[in-house]
Amino acid sequence: MSKRYSIVAFVAVLALVAAACGGDEETPSATGETPAATGQTGEVPTGGVLREETVDFGFTNAFDPTGEYLGTAWSYYGNLLMRGLVSYPWLPGDQGGNEPVADLATDTGQLSADGLTLTFTLKDGVMWQPPLDRPVTSQDVAWAFQRINTESLIAQYGNYYCGTIVGMDCSGKSQEDPIEGIETPDDSTIVFQLERPTGDFLFRLAQPAAAPVPPEVAGCFSEAGEYGRYVMSSGPYMLLGSDEMDVSSCNTLEPISGYDPDRFMYYTRNPNYDQATDDNRQNYVDGFAQVINTNVEDSFNRVLNGDIDMVHGAPPAAILQQYLTNPDLEDNFKAEQGDRTWYITMNLIVPPFDDIHVRKAVNLVVDKASLLQSTGGPTSGDVATTIEPPAVLPDTASYDPYATPNLAGDLDAAKAEMAQSAYDSDGDGVCDDPVCQDVLLVNRNYEPWTNYTPILQENLSAIGIELKIRELEIDTAYTTIQTMNNLVPIAINAGWGKDYASPYGFDFFLFNTAGLACEGLVNYAMVGLTEDLASECGDNVLDAYNAAVEANGPIPNVDEDMEACVTTPPGDAYNACWATLDQRLMEEIVPWVPYRWGSQNVAIGDSVVQWVYDQSAAWTAYSRVAVDNDLTIEDVAS
Amino acid sequence: MPEPLLEVKDLSVHFKTEDGLVKAVDGVSFSIMPGEALGVVGESGSGKSVTFLTVMGLTQTAKNAVVEGQILFQGEDLLKVPKEEMREFRGRRISMIFQDPMTSLHPLYKVGYQLSEAIRSHQKVSKSEAMEQSIEMLRRVGIPKPDERVRQYPHEFSGGMRQRAMIAMAISLNPDLLIADEPTTALDVTVQAQILDLIGRLKSEFNAAVVIITHDMGVVAEHCDNIQVMYAGRIAETGARDVIYYQSHHPYTWGLLDSIPRLSETDSHERLNPIKGLPPSLIFVPSGCSFHPRCPYAFDRCTAEVPLLLPSDGMHAAACHLPIADKERIFQERMLARS
Amino acid sequence: MIRYIIRRLLWVLVTLLLVALITYTIFFVMPSTDPAVNFAGKQPTPELVARVRELFGLDKPFVVQYGQFVGRLFLGDDYGWPGLGFSFSTRSELKPVILDRLWVTAQLAIGAAILWLMIGIPIGILSALKPRSIFDRLAMGFALFGVSAPVFFIGPVLLYIFWYKLQLLPGTGYYPIEDGLSQWYLHMLLPWCVLALGFAAFYARMSRANLIETMGEDYIRTARAKGLSERRVVLKHGLRASLTPIVTMLGLDLGALLGGAIITETVFNLPGIGQYAVQSDFYAILDITLIAAFFITIANLIVDIVYAFLDPRVRYT
Repeated sequence: MSKRYSIVAFVAVLALVAAACGGDEETPSATGETPAATGQTGEVPTGGVLREETVDFGFTNAFDPTGEYLGTAWSYYGNLLMRGLVSYPWLPGDQGGNEPVADLATDTGQLSADGLTLTFTLKDGVMWQPPLDRPVTSQDVAWAFQRINTESLIAQYGNYYCGTIVGMDCSGKSQEDPIEGIETPDDSTIVFQLERPTGDFLFRLAQPAAAPVPPEVAGCFSEAGEYGRYVMSSGPYMLLGSDEMDVSSCNTLEPISGYDPDRFMYYTRNPNYDQATDDNRQNYVDGFAQVINTNVEDSFNRVLNGDIDMVHGAPPAAILQQYLTNPDLEDNFKAEQGDRTWYITMNLIVPPFDDIHVRKAVNLVVDKASLLQSTGGPTSGDVATTIEPPAVLPDTASYDPYATPNLAGDLDAAKAEMAQSAYDSDGDGVCDDPVCQDVLLVNRNYEPWTNYTPILQENLSAIGIELKIRELEIDTAYTTIQTMNNLVPIAINAGWGKDYASPYGFDFFLFNTAGLACEGLVNYAMVGLTEDLASECGDNVLDAYNAAVEANGPIPNVDEDMEACVTTPPGDAYNACWATLDQRLMEEIVPWVPYRWGSQNVAIGDSVVQWVYDQSAAWTAYSRVAVDNDLTIEDVAS
Repeated sequence: MPEPLLEVKDLSVHFKTEDGLVKAVDGVSFSIMPGEALGVVGESGSGKSVTFLTVMGLTQTAKNAVVEGQILFQGEDLLKVPKEEMREFRGRRISMIFQDPMTSLHPLYKVGYQLSEAIRSHQKVSKSEAMEQSIEMLRRVGIPKPDERVRQYPHEFSGGMRQRAMIAMAISLNPDLLIADEPTTALDVTVQAQILDLIGRLKSEFNAAVVIITHDMGVVAEHCDNIQVMYAGRIAETGARDVIYYQSHHPYTWGLLDSIPRLSETDSHERLNPIKGLPPSLIFVPSGCSFHPRCPYAFDRCTAEVPLLLPSDGMHAAACHLPIADKERIFQERMLARS
Repeated sequence: MIRYIIRRLLWVLVTLLLVALITYTIFFVMPSTDPAVNFAGKQPTPELVARVRELFGLDKPFVVQYGQFVGRLFLGDDYGWPGLGFSFSTRSELKPVILDRLWVTAQLAIGAAILWLMIGIPIGILSALKPRSIFDRLAMGFALFGVSAPVFFIGPVLLYIFWYKLQLLPGTGYYPIEDGLSQWYLHMLLPWCVLALGFAAFYARMSRANLIETMGEDYIRTARAKGLSERRVVLKHGLRASLTPIVTMLGLDLGALLGGAIITETVFNLPGIGQYAVQSDFYAILDITLIAAFFITIANLIVDIVYAFLDPRVRYT
């Protein structure tokens, strides 16, 4: 007897000792930075090529920065090709990754006392790539805005500038027309005149559309998307073959050989770049290769085989399993905050969701923990408790107005809320009005969204709402809820990622009347809907509007709240204003049930010895990664 | 006596099938003299075609064929000749033509090509020489404008012309024995006579022995020296043509003769006279005389004992248990009834 | 014959117009593929969408758009003849892209065709000559497997074995011949094999069945009776007749493949038009659908004409 106990004790002691000594292995860190894996000096190796494969590029404006809206295109622009007056440090959120910093400019601008004039001085020594071979000037910056202002170039987020900068209305006829509110007294100075104080203006300047463009090249292209094959760089890298362009006239320009929209995109170093002018980019690798491979499993196999270094986009379910369960692959898998909220949207003019008590009851009854679990658990993100992702508005990171035990929903609390609704005539907490029967819910038709269907059905049924769930293809689902006269009561197919890390960029179209339209609407909850707009979109919409207003009072509107917050000067007061709006939305208007703040998942190969997460674009910080293959871009490019 | 051209001794050809052993040819012996014209008559399944296909060496390609006996051609046993050598015989020393010339000629090759091919596989001649020979052969079988016809395809010939072309192909190398398996069955009546005449003419021109296989006794009436009647894989009766027609000694032959359609002057509504019953299964051959189930004159010996092909008078032989005197009497009765 | 060909060509034209109309209608009617909304980005305001529509000429009525499309196709557009238009998503000319990709698809199709003919037909012939032997049973077993195993299964399996585990072959992707003959060949090898497998199996079964049937024909008996060597009987008499339906099938299969071997191209990441049709947008899909229809109808015509040459019994008026 005693012998057995002593053996057990001995083994236990051994185990404890082993655990204490062996705990140096790096767990997937939330800071998104792995220590440099080189020799004693800990120096990060330079050189090599980062080889990445993607299923397709997915550019929304053919890589023309004036309109391009794809987040990962912003990664290429910001890290590699474009130095705006301000940009980002290309770091994770907790290291300041979401805060604009000076890049082309010497500082983050001098703001006048009335907040209407912002002046920048450009650094010396920032040059355009060959064959342009000249310094970047303030006129180049102004030209970018002239392009945004030109109607035919379809600046897809032009609304951030038009109506904010004096003289910009996004209906300009030619990109050669200067803008009244932008002055360039000399090559190194640029002055912006604003219509009204705009607290997040720096964020807007950090967007790629606002980065300088060379008129001698960009000026040749006046239709949306055309410039995309001729993009010139002011940054540390340039597109392969772009230095061979004949820029003597518009007619001699040829599309850059290193970018084929259906096949590949190659970058090499910009010989005119001066590292001394740049504190934000480290530029370890010599080149980047983005290659299209329609077989995504094959791409991941290549990573494992060492043929490439990274795959663009999250791993599919089966491969994700490998990375989560294989201890050798643990370090190769990253899950970072994606600055994206996944939410259930409820229609303020469609019963039963026109009743605020019903909307609150739904917020209380949904089992968010299960939704997260069925999405894939912690690697897919965190349970969302409010609208803004925490890295976008840290003030509301721990704000949870509908807290429930274990985030699993609270049926009693939900019933208590439902009992106050007109649709629960007997006050038992279960809806008994016919409008709660056959309630249409739009969902996507693939995993993990299809996993939500049973969970929601069960949750809502408990408070008397019987759902009729329609699972649709992703594009169809979006188009369905974007069409106002479909009067979709409730939907869970949608998610929203930030444009930039200021709440204005997140909230604006979601809850402002500017996001309302008969087709292509984005304010799915119909916050701020007016009678005029309702009647434009169809008699059924008008009828629903009138009925909702009659039963519940006027439709709440947050346009003025937003306007007030927008004009608050940057700083703590700015964020506090938005936090207050967030609260009002969640508690007094209740358009959504936010349920998940999504993670960005990345799988990288062993050859990536340093990988850094860039919070601003929610993707890889290309200007800070390092690889240990000894390739040159000529080796890799076909 | 000159040597027989072809001597078949006790030939049997059996096929192993899932249903049993098919005795297509079961103990057949006969001989053919050089220059002789033999008519082989019988219903379907009598073994007449299989016998001569075996002489050509064409049944042995079937994997389930069991061949026994001897086939002596000009003294050589063809059953013992190796396959490669057998090719020398086929087409050159023994030729065969078949029933349906449309399907028997290759539809995708020109007629001239098919003839030349036959010639060139046995003789070392150039293409043009072979073509010349082919044209000559077509002329000899009576096809007009043979130099044009040589360049045409079989489907461009009429039925009779096709059969002539087949015949041309078969005799182009001057064989000693020509076997014609139902040569007129697929042809119009008017053409039938022409073809038979042609065969007869060529036989004397080329000095070849000819075997005409048919189920129609009318066909062999004019052109054959001797006739051999087969039934259920065995020879029922054999003899000179006149003897078979006017003095046959086998009830089966009598039935065949009766069944020849005749134009009657008095009664145009006269019915046809088929032999009652059907040919027997070659797997379950009736015991004793295989004809006994259909024979109006069968008696007890017929079910028990297989009748041997015994000569009754010189060349004439019949495999039947009836005494000769009875046979002659019955035959006379039947002849009278017919006329 | 000439009149026949001309008539058939007119029908080809009618077919293409009809295919274009149907495809155009489908795209027009389906809301999720509205390029205007997709192009307008994340926050498609009505003004933005209207501007995009105008830019792409999508604001005109359906009949006008279709008419313009057909006109461009037959008369050429800014980019040359035939007018294949441009791609919304990449804002680039479609003609050079499609022609390049067509070349890749052609390489894949023709290479696979050579392979499956070289494998399938001899196997079929040998099986026909030795029916029910061990070889025959094995061959037909292989044929059953080949016909049943889908490309998206066999492809990754072979990739895993030969590239990942054994490191014998390079992986997916396309290397043009100009960049190196051996690289091109090694990259095409697996796609050829995988694509050819199903066809080889099918052609083996077809050749076997055709040859068995042909060898039972009367003219084979005649050929033997003429004293021809068995080899000649099989090759010149037997094969000649049994292969004419194979030629027909080959023409039709190639015609269909030139419209894009979608799965093979996707699995092996070959930049052919099949892969492009899957990953691209409205105009590209329209063009590729038409090209595929064109190849299939022309292949039908060619096959019919060739058949008339192969079989003298067939005559067209």
